[in-house]
Amino acid sequence: MEITSRIDGDLVHLNVAGSIDASTSPDVEQAVHAALGGGRRRLIFDMRQVDYISSAGLRALLVAAKKAKAAGGGVAVFGAQADVQEVFSISGFGKIVPIAASDAEAREKLGA
Amino acid sequence: MTTLTLADEIVVLMLDDAIGEITPGCMNVAGVAIAGGILMELALRENIDTDLKSLFVVNPKSTGDALLDDFLEEITSETERHPSAWWIDRLSTRHTDLVERILARLVSAGILREEERRFLWVFSRRAYPQVSGREEREAKARLMSVLFNDEVPNPRDTLLLGLANSTGVLSAILSNEEQDRCAARIEEVVALEEIGRSVGLVANQVRDAMTMMLAPYH
Repeated sequence: MEITSRIDGDLVHLNVAGSIDASTSPDVEQAVHAALGGGRRRLIFDMRQVDYISSAGLRALLVAAKKAKAAGGGVAVFGAQADVQEVFSISGFGKIVPIAASDAEAREKLGA
Repeated sequence: MTTLTLADEIVVLMLDDAIGEITPGCMNVAGVAIAGGILMELALRENIDTDLKSLFVVNPKSTGDALLDDFLEEITSETERHPSAWWIDRLSTRHTDLVERILARLVSAGILREEERRFLWVFSRRAYPQVSGREEREAKARLMSVLFNDEVPNPRDTLLLGLANSTGVLSAILSNEEQDRCAARIEEVVALEEIGRSVGLVANQVRDAMTMMLAPYH
């Protein structure tokens, strides 16, 4: 799995590629920790290149949402592939974290 | 301070302190809850992971906890992958052994004490009243915080809520009015964790089977 980040004011885009599972979720946590420093409080996960997410991966995204909310911001995700979208649907993830179809919609959901 | 596993915590919550035993209403699903609690603990420690299809080992290294390690070894030695519900169903059949092992470790940790009690003046039974009740109060406070706060719940509390909901512990803690008020939040939080959903599924299957078994006697 690879994560690249792009800072845009108090918003950070995290572009994730590969699988998010127990072996890679520590990398997500580390990227979130780095992203939320320096007064940044909003995160957008670009999920277009994520082909698999396990329970540990979903947990990592929820922990990111908890941290961002505690910092006074929030998390949104967009571009989930069908298999990842199925995990989001069954878990009701969208009730906690806004799921968007595009980057622009994710920004809008975060009020950015 | 002893750090309790989710399996320890759900047993503390299922105990009826007046009789020093698992609350009769939870008895049928106690094995399911403990098996689920152990799997959840292994997931939180990143020894296992799950997805919509199966439960699998990601780190077979010992956790240092004998009960968790027994489960981990068994899952590691299984050649085929199975869904979480399959494992919960299989491991929960050791209901008596699981309850006894958890009660024994809670006694060792000074959370419960073991007493010999008599009933009908002749028969004796073991009872496990709480020493201070602090652990139960703390677990209940965490559950209440998840329910009555709009925060994103942390994974451990999310999983504990799943166990408390599937065993009936939650409905015993909440008033009818609170249950109505929290119904949507309970559903929302419990759905988040795959093992939590599976524990609920297996617990319902056990209850349905008991109802069918007892139907001829009603």
